[in-house]
Amino acid sequence: MNCVEFESVLPEFLEGVQTSEQQAHLDSCPACSGLLSDLNLISSQAKLLLAADEPRPAVWNALEARLRSEGLIRDFEPVPVLVPFKESLWHRWRAAWLVPVAATLAIVAGLKLYHPAGAGDNAPIAKQRPVVTEPATRGVSARAAVSSEDQQWLNSVAARPPAVQASFRADLDNANSFIRDAEASLRDDPNDAYTQQMLINAYEQKQMLYELAVDRSSQ
Amino acid sequence: MMLAGVALAAGETRKELHFKVGKHPAVSINNPYGPVMVRAGAAREVSVVAILHSDRVELDQSQSHNRIDIVSHLLQGADQNSGIVEYQVQVPADANLTIHSDNGRVRAEKLRGDVTMEGNSAAMEVADCGDGHVHIKTLSGPVTLSNIRNGHIEILSMGGDVSLNSVSGPYVTVNSNTGKIAYAGDFGGEGEYAFTSHTGDIEAVAPAYASIDVLARSNQGRVESDFSLEPKHTPFYAKGGSAFAGTLGMAASSVKLFSFSGRIHLKKRQ
Repeated sequence: MNCVEFESVLPEFLEGVQTSEQQAHLDSCPACSGLLSDLNLISSQAKLLLAADEPRPAVWNALEARLRSEGLIRDFEPVPVLVPFKESLWHRWRAAWLVPVAATLAIVAGLKLYHPAGAGDNAPIAKQRPVVTEPATRGVSARAAVSSEDQQWLNSVAARPPAVQASFRADLDNANSFIRDAEASLRDDPNDAYTQQMLINAYEQKQMLYELAVDRSSQ
Repeated sequence: MMLAGVALAAGETRKELHFKVGKHPAVSINNPYGPVMVRAGAAREVSVVAILHSDRVELDQSQSHNRIDIVSHLLQGADQNSGIVEYQVQVPADANLTIHSDNGRVRAEKLRGDVTMEGNSAAMEVADCGDGHVHIKTLSGPVTLSNIRNGHIEILSMGGDVSLNSVSGPYVTVNSNTGKIAYAGDFGGEGEYAFTSHTGDIEAVAPAYASIDVLARSNQGRVESDFSLEPKHTPFYAKGGSAFAGTLGMAASSVKLFSFSGRIHLKKRQ
C-alpha cells in the first residue's frame, strides 16, 4: 500500500475500519502517520471548542484549504480565473484556496469595480532602484485582543516556562498580524491570487505554532 | 540490537545503540533538549551514541521492522539543563529521518532520503543531501541548507532566518513570518522556487547565467533587481518600486519572491 491508497481509505480508517495492511503502511510511513496525528490533533482540539466560541469563518476556510491541499477533499471543480497561469506550484496553491473563500470573495468583489488597467504591467524593468515608503508594520507587530480559540491555546501552554510562553505569545501575535495584513490586502483586491496565497501561508504559520507548542517530551 | 552503557563523570551517561535495518529505514528522534547530529554511515545499520546529562532524562528506544524511534524521555523535575541529551547518529544514506528538538542544534548531512525537522528554537542544518524531501518547521531557530540537489524542499519558519546555499530542485518553498530568507545559488533544476514572508527580508543572489522566470512583489517594502530582466506580463498591478517581473536566460525555473512588508532584493553574484 502506498500513500495515495492510504489516503483514499483514510476516512474509513479514522472511523475504526482498519486493516493490517493499512496499519503496516502507517507504521512505516512518517508522512501518513504525521497526517493522521494532525487530524487527530484537530479532532481533539475541536472538541475543546464550545458552541459559543465558534471560530471565525476564516479559520474553517483555512482548515478546509489545508485539507484540500492534502487531497482529503476532492469534490473541487476548478473555477475560471481571469489571468491564465501555467500549471504550477502557485496555481495549485491558488486552486486550493479558491473554493473555501469563493463565497466571501464574491461578496467583497461585488462591492468593487473590476479594474482591468491594473492587471498587467509591461513597462521596462531594467535595474530598478526604487524608493518607497517604509513599511508601517516592520519589526513590530501590534498586540491585538486575543480570540477565544487563541486564549484556549495560550491556556494550554500556561505550564511552560515564562520565557517560552512569551515566545509563543509573540509568535501568535506575529501570525495574527500576518493574517490581518493579508485579509486587509484581499479586501482591496479580492482576486489577487498571490495575496490569497499569503493568507494561506499565514494560517499555515499559525497551524505550525499550535502544533509545535505541544509538549511531546512527556508523551 | 545491542545496548551498552558507560558511566561518565559529573552524572553524565553515555549510551550506544545499534540497530540492523533494511533499505529505506525510518528513523525518528525526539530530543527536547540538546543537539542531534546525523550523518550517513554504513548501509543496513543505525548507530546511536547518546550522552545523557543527568538521571532526570532517560532514553526510550524501539524498533518495529524497519522503523526506529528514539525518544529522550524527560522525568519529573527535568529542565533544559538536566534534560539535555547529545546525540551522534549514523544512518544509511537512504534512511528517512525525522527529528524533533526544542532547542538543540540539529544537523543532517550526506543523506539521500527524506529529512523532516521540527523545533522551537533549535538551529537546523541540512548539508550535502539530495534526491529527497526536506521538510523543516521552526519557530525561532535559524535554518541553513547547503548543497542540496534535486530536493523537494518545504521550510516553514516564524522568526528563524532561513539561509539556502547551493540549493536546487523541482520544488523549493520557504514560508517565513519575521525571519529573513537568503538564497544563494543558480535556481537550477527547472524548479519552482517560492519564497514568501510577512516582514522578513528576502535576498536572492544568483549568477549572471541563471535561467529564471522571476516575479517579485512586496506590498510595503522596497523591491530591487540587479539584473536587466526581459519584461514580461504580470498578473497583478505592479506599482513602480514595489514589484517586478521578467525573465533571464531560458527562464527554466520559476522564482516567486513575495513579502508583505519585507525588502526584496534579487542580486547578481559578483
